[in-house]
Amino acid sequence: MAGLFKRVYDWLLRTFWATEMDVTMIGLQNAGKTSLLRVLSGGEFAIDSIPTVGFNMKRLQRGHVTLKCWDLGGQPRFRPMWERYCRNVNAIVFIVDIADVDALPMAREELHSLMNQPSLDGIPLLVLGNKSDLVNKLTVDELIDAMDLKNIAHREVSCYGISAKEETNLEAVLQWLMKFANR
Amino acid sequence: MSYGKKDEDADTGLVKIDRTQVFQEARLFNTSPIQPRRCRILLTKIGLLLYTGEKFPSTEATTLFFGISKLFQNKDASLRQMVHLIIKELASSADDIIMVTSTIMKDTGGSTDAIYRPNAIRALCRIIDATTVQSIERVLKTAIVDKNPTVSSAALVSSYHLLPIAREVVKRWQSETQEAAASTKSSGGFSLGFSSSSANLPVNNSTMTQYHAIGLLYQMRMHDRMALVKMVQQFGAAGAMKNPAAIVMLVRLAAQLAEEDAQLRRPMMQLLDGWLRHKSEMVNFEAAKAICDMRDVTDAEVSQAVHVLQLFLTSPRAVTKFAALRILHNIASFKPHVVNVCNPDIELLISNSNRSIATFAITTLLKTGNEASVDRLMKQISGFMSEITDEFKITIVEAIRTLCLKFPSKQAGMLQFLSTVLRDEGGYEFKRAVVESLFDLIKFVPDSKEEALAHLCEFIEDCEFTKLGVRILHLLGVEGPKTSQPTKYIRYIYNRVVLENATVRAAAVTALAKFGVGQKDPELKRSVDVLLTRCLDDVDDEVRDRAALNLSLMHDEDELATRFVKNDSMFSLPYFEHQLVMYVTSDDKSVFDEAFDISKIPIVTREQADAEDRTKKLTATTPSLKPPKTGPTKAAPSAADAAASATATAQKYAQELLSIPELKEFGAVLKSSPVVGLTEAETEYVVSVVKHIFKEHIVLQYEVKNTLPDTVLENVSVVATPSDEEELQELFIIQAEKLATDEPGKIYVAFQKVNGEGSLPISTFSNVLKFTSKEIDPTTGEPEESGYDDEYEVSEFDLAGADYVVPAFASNFAHIWEQVGAQGEEAEETLQLSGMKSIEDATEQLTKALSLQPLEGTDVPVNQTTHTLKLLGKTVGGGRVVANVRMAYSSKTGVTTKITVRSEEEGVAALVIGSVA
Repeated sequence: MAGLFKRVYDWLLRTFWATEMDVTMIGLQNAGKTSLLRVLSGGEFAIDSIPTVGFNMKRLQRGHVTLKCWDLGGQPRFRPMWERYCRNVNAIVFIVDIADVDALPMAREELHSLMNQPSLDGIPLLVLGNKSDLVNKLTVDELIDAMDLKNIAHREVSCYGISAKEETNLEAVLQWLMKFANR
Repeated sequence: MSYGKKDEDADTGLVKIDRTQVFQEARLFNTSPIQPRRCRILLTKIGLLLYTGEKFPSTEATTLFFGISKLFQNKDASLRQMVHLIIKELASSADDIIMVTSTIMKDTGGSTDAIYRPNAIRALCRIIDATTVQSIERVLKTAIVDKNPTVSSAALVSSYHLLPIAREVVKRWQSETQEAAASTKSSGGFSLGFSSSSANLPVNNSTMTQYHAIGLLYQMRMHDRMALVKMVQQFGAAGAMKNPAAIVMLVRLAAQLAEEDAQLRRPMMQLLDGWLRHKSEMVNFEAAKAICDMRDVTDAEVSQAVHVLQLFLTSPRAVTKFAALRILHNIASFKPHVVNVCNPDIELLISNSNRSIATFAITTLLKTGNEASVDRLMKQISGFMSEITDEFKITIVEAIRTLCLKFPSKQAGMLQFLSTVLRDEGGYEFKRAVVESLFDLIKFVPDSKEEALAHLCEFIEDCEFTKLGVRILHLLGVEGPKTSQPTKYIRYIYNRVVLENATVRAAAVTALAKFGVGQKDPELKRSVDVLLTRCLDDVDDEVRDRAALNLSLMHDEDELATRFVKNDSMFSLPYFEHQLVMYVTSDDKSVFDEAFDISKIPIVTREQADAEDRTKKLTATTPSLKPPKTGPTKAAPSAADAAASATATAQKYAQELLSIPELKEFGAVLKSSPVVGLTEAETEYVVSVVKHIFKEHIVLQYEVKNTLPDTVLENVSVVATPSDEEELQELFIIQAEKLATDEPGKIYVAFQKVNGEGSLPISTFSNVLKFTSKEIDPTTGEPEESGYDDEYEVSEFDLAGADYVVPAFASNFAHIWEQVGAQGEEAEETLQLSGMKSIEDATEQLTKALSLQPLEGTDVPVNQTTHTLKLLGKTVGGGRVVANVRMAYSSKTGVTTKITVRSEEEGVAALVIGSVA
């Protein structure tokens, strides 16, 4: 009975107070963007996935909020197009592979050049250190330093360590995203 | 059908759509949440713009594209379809289109019944690049064999488009394609109306998939003849294919195979024959057309096709009649006697209310008709000439012109007809066609000259077209003085001087002058003088100038003046034009330092030009309303065709030879022989030769093609040994440096005529190809350092009398025959040509072998058992050669001919006969 009420309540919420928000997920190739999105939308984690050509789009339903997640390809040829898909979104999620130290400088460069675009001023940024289940990983503080997040201005910036494979800390990510739902 | 209707409405029914406005509205795509309905309307507008030819500039297209990409994965299935459709159209103009690959891929693989799946597949193949094709391999493979024809078709067509960019990948899908072609699927069974939600694929019973599959299979196997043969035989079997379009494809393929490989001809012909009885008209027509277009098709083979077409002639549908008639018309051009049987049916169509059918009926009948029926036809045509448009009139006039040249004896009736239509109402194009036909009559049918001139004179009395007036006046000037009563024409011409505009007046003055200059009759000369003197008072400068010039030419009569006014030779115009174009378009600035040198242009006599002109006109048997050729084009090769292209080839050779410094000093080429093949077409090295005759030299041009893969021939030369070395002395050989696979190269061997320019040596040459063969290293693609020397012997060929004569034209054979006979010598030979199957065959072959011009329409035998062929030519030295060939045909012995050749130059007659004996 309670379940039924909840369903009806959710349905009412969806129908009358439905909100849609756009979230763009970016990051270098093989950082785990597509895997994270799959896990967030309730799918199984898959070890071998093919590189995203272009972008993927998935909708996540959380209560009365629909999250439209744009998962952009991370290969160099797609990076110039990130900016276009980040315009006017509610939040940008930048995913970093914290077990791949060599790629960090490149990730920092790409992130900073994107954040310097005037068109993206004020859009909240969430930096996720993915693959925290691996052994040789950075801590969150190390990541903040490595990415030089302190120097990103004009916006709200957060940084979490997560693991898409083990599904650690994913709830926090969703909570953080929901904060911006009604803006 | 309904599609076409919608398109028509689109122009009037919709509000006017502006590109910039639509582009402004496109901001709608970025709003959140998405409004599927409004987006769909906007997408439709974009689609309308794109389909009506509007182009979005690259930046706008890209912005639109990114906007549209926001709409992806919407729940609204129709919106998804629309998005795919527009993305497909934008793919060529927008940048970064690759972005949507992943997203579209999802739609292609998704739920199998989704309505947008075919759209997604078609869009996908437009946006993908060669490197990513592999990643969609699995998706497409499954889609090709999908049980729904719509999906399957989409996948097949997409593969077709992908083939050029990723050949290797697509080729791996052969077995799936094969399966799609073979399956006669229908999805009618499974959905019995239960799942009628709009997002599901509608039921589709089309067999179009088979057509698409056959098309793709052909593209995949294009270079593998055996596989193609197998494919035609497998799918050509009765019942294997349901779709008529697919069978039409097979018909074309079968025809092409039969064309390429003589061995396949028989089995393919059998298949084609079977298709003639297929239940679909489309297939019948295609098969009939293929049979008729087949090279060297025999009467027996065609007759079956003609029979089928004949049945269609009585069909109630106009389009069927038209299609059948069009094919018959084509056959009639080269096999009129086969079409004869249909004549009664075709005659009924002359009065058809559809004028396209009626015109084709007439022109076909004109071709199939024998001399006897021509008069009757002419009457019938005159009956409805007034009812049809100019365009059709021109077609008919052109057909009649060809007929005039074919049956000169019928000129009276045709002249009558032409003069009547000339008086009819009509536009410039029509009148021009009639006037040109009359011109041709005057030029090639001497008996009609005076009467035709009289008709033309009458015509210019009341002619509103300046251009035609000028042309006719010029002709009067050329032909008039030669007639029995030149004074008759002077009156007509002078009338023009009095009544017309300046352009016509000027032309009339020049024409008048031609009567005066070189005129023997003092009375006539005086009248021309008086008339021209009057013209000196004309208001127009040009007219006065011309009158003054011509008067002075008339007064101090001399050789020069006569030559100037009555110039009987002209520049070889096609060559002249070519040279001028080369000069004007030259990239090299230094070329312009010197003025164009007109003396390099060969001069031909009017007779020669006429001869060429006539062959050209005879071959142009198709009316100007030409049916568009859809199938693989191949003209039925005939002697006339060869002659028509001869001018072009001769010029090509002349140019090639001029570009070789060693050959330059030999002077101009006097005659180039047709290409003689010295090997079979399938041998390792394909060799052919062209014999060029110069004043004192003979140059053999060998064309060698190396067909061995992965080898290079270097320093290729030909050792040509004449059987009679006393008359011909070898000067030098120009080698081909390097011959890669399938790249033809040229080798020149030059000989000197030992006995000087007058001699006409004949000889048999034996030829040996000498070269160094090197293999290509497969790893580097470079030929290996060392090779081995090799020789290759090819067939012998003859340098014969026919190589020294060129065809020439004259209007009166009997006259020349007597003239040449009086001065020159004669040779005679009786030959039994058992290989010839008919008089026509013999006529064609002999004309070719002797390389002479048939006169007085004798190239078209009227009688099937006996025929006299009258031939004329000139030797390279300029002496005339006349031949009279009498032929008799009997089924037992073949064709018996008696050839009598007369020539002005000594020894030529025997030589020419020698080239057939």
